[in-house]
Amino acid sequence: MTAVLALAGVELKRFLRDRSNIFFVFIFPLMLILLIGSQFGAGAGQSRVAISGSGSSLAEAIKTKLEAADVDVTFAGADTVRQELSRGSTDVGLFISEAAAAEFDAGGSEAGRPAEVEVVMGSQSGAQAVMQQVRTAIQSVNVERGQLAALTQAGLPAAQADEALAAASQRLSAPKVEVVDTSEIAQEFRGLGQFDLGAAQQLLLFVFLSSLTGATTLIQARKLGVIPRMLAAPVSSGQAVAGQALGRFAIALVQGGYIMLGTALLFGVQWGSIALSVLVLALFCTVSAAAAMVIGSVMDNDGAASGVGVGAGLVLAGLGGCMVPPELFPETLRTVSYITPHRFAYDAFAEIQRHEGGLGDILPQLGVLAAMAVALLLLGSLLLRRSLNRSL
Amino acid sequence: MTEVLTVQGLAKRYGDLAAVDGVSFTIAPGETFGLLGPNGAGKTTTISMIAGLIAADAGTVTVAGKGMGPSETAAKRHLGLVPQELAIYPDLTGRENLSFFGRLQGLNGRDLSRRTQEVLELIGLADRAGDLTKNYSGGMKRRLNIGIGLLHRPTLLILDEPTVGVDPQSRNSILEAVEALSSEGMAVLYTTHYMEEAERLCDRIAIIDEGSIQAEGTRDELIKLTGGVDRINLHGSGNSVAAAAALRLVPGVQHVDGDGSALSLTVQDGPSVLAGIVTGAGNAGMSVTSVEITRPDLESVFLHLTGKALRD
Repeated sequence: MTAVLALAGVELKRFLRDRSNIFFVFIFPLMLILLIGSQFGAGAGQSRVAISGSGSSLAEAIKTKLEAADVDVTFAGADTVRQELSRGSTDVGLFISEAAAAEFDAGGSEAGRPAEVEVVMGSQSGAQAVMQQVRTAIQSVNVERGQLAALTQAGLPAAQADEALAAASQRLSAPKVEVVDTSEIAQEFRGLGQFDLGAAQQLLLFVFLSSLTGATTLIQARKLGVIPRMLAAPVSSGQAVAGQALGRFAIALVQGGYIMLGTALLFGVQWGSIALSVLVLALFCTVSAAAAMVIGSVMDNDGAASGVGVGAGLVLAGLGGCMVPPELFPETLRTVSYITPHRFAYDAFAEIQRHEGGLGDILPQLGVLAAMAVALLLLGSLLLRRSLNRSL
Repeated sequence: MTEVLTVQGLAKRYGDLAAVDGVSFTIAPGETFGLLGPNGAGKTTTISMIAGLIAADAGTVTVAGKGMGPSETAAKRHLGLVPQELAIYPDLTGRENLSFFGRLQGLNGRDLSRRTQEVLELIGLADRAGDLTKNYSGGMKRRLNIGIGLLHRPTLLILDEPTVGVDPQSRNSILEAVEALSSEGMAVLYTTHYMEEAERLCDRIAIIDEGSIQAEGTRDELIKLTGGVDRINLHGSGNSVAAAAALRLVPGVQHVDGDGSALSLTVQDGPSVLAGIVTGAGNAGMSVTSVEITRPDLESVFLHLTGKALRD
């Protein structure tokens, strides 16, 4: 056992010491998760409204109503609001003229007359829903203004009219617009945090990719001539194979654990049950390590092995739903995706993260991953043992 | 005396090629045994079987009384192997390399730390122990390569051509280290195709060619196989035919061959008869311009036994 641990330890040490790994293994995945989450994450669907004409009570009143409806409101100049609309960085723009603001502040030249603002909708698909929220907010402001005007016209002092309206609004709940996308796909991603989906996808992509490209160290070990020296020591070929396999597993687990911990701390990613997520990760790491053993055993050129590792790692990740969520795949591709271990791990993470799934819910995925791990480990061990003999 | 290594009838074939064919020898404690032969003679294959790296097709290997084979870990505990090629991790430090291979040998804890430090000092790398070995010079790597083989104080140390590609200074340092180990009682199996190294280090030498041992013994015993005669080559001008005839009559001259301007003589004790030969050639009408005396050495033995030069 000491020899197995020593072998695994030296593999891990060499992996961590390789400076070229620092960026691609530890920095790049987190950068991608940040980028993907910012662009396409669940939070990226936040309703955004930009208002030109800050400082007026009309603008503040509309802002209060919109924020109450979870809309992100910003103030900017008219030109900036137009730019944001054209670039798609805001959904709806409101342009409040000085005349409209003054009229609103004065209570209207004719009491109760509705305030008029210019509203421009962006071209993105979600803008229509935000537009509806803006309409509701403006109507709500107008109604309140009309109510206040009616009360003061009836002879109630302004202060008492305000108090009466405030008391009434506390007794009655104002209508609230909640935009719900009822499509199957939208429901599937319901409840996910902004970075949750990207974190799970990139975790699987990078753990598998790094494992495959890291297979080159197996080839290097043969070229360095250390294999004969190992086997001349009281170390059986079985122990040598086990040590190499454990080393590859440790490398994958370190990277996977780092991404899980890093995304949880930096981006607040919710991994659901930690124990179950780690179990899924461990099985996926075993599959990755075994696949690396296969590549590192059948190939003798480390440059070629690295190329094959990158190619296979990216193709399998894409097919397994680590680039585009498999829920968006056509039916045929969705079926094909189940030839990859990524897909089963993705489904297991989805069950844990989105539906608070328990062990029973992910048993099928765990079973398939375990079967893949056993099959690849057997094949990898056989091929690695042969490759060790080749190096003698 | 109990032999540290006993090799009996070792054989290995690769297809039609008999890489090793019936090799047998023994090594006693404190003895340095040389396997001398050209590249491709079967030295490394023999060593690979002795170290348990590959299985023999026939024959047995016993190390410290224990049978050796690929799965025989008990015998491997007594053996230290220094492969021909450098077998170290370039991205680990010297100390880390020693520590890793020490663990594989079953060392751990304080014993491993102490032994690692001792070996670092022995091979003169204590002050560079924390440097990555990729930054070492070729000689330093060679010394580390040998140090790893010594970590667990093996009963038998196998050195497979340890001086190949080494500068003269490092080479001398390696040879001195081997002499020191032997004097401390370690049995050493040393393979080389450098005759001078075998002559300097080895108590006994086996000459191996085409997979089989051609002869085995001490240096003097092997030289006697050639008949112990010296060879004298004369170069010059004039009547070499007459000179050859005259020289055949000189006492101590056994054989004379001539080809135009050169004569080749086989003689007993060349230095003592040289003056008479040069005089005799001159008297017969040959003006001698150069003389070369070749005394018998392991090269001569190899030539005598196989009909080819050692470095062919």
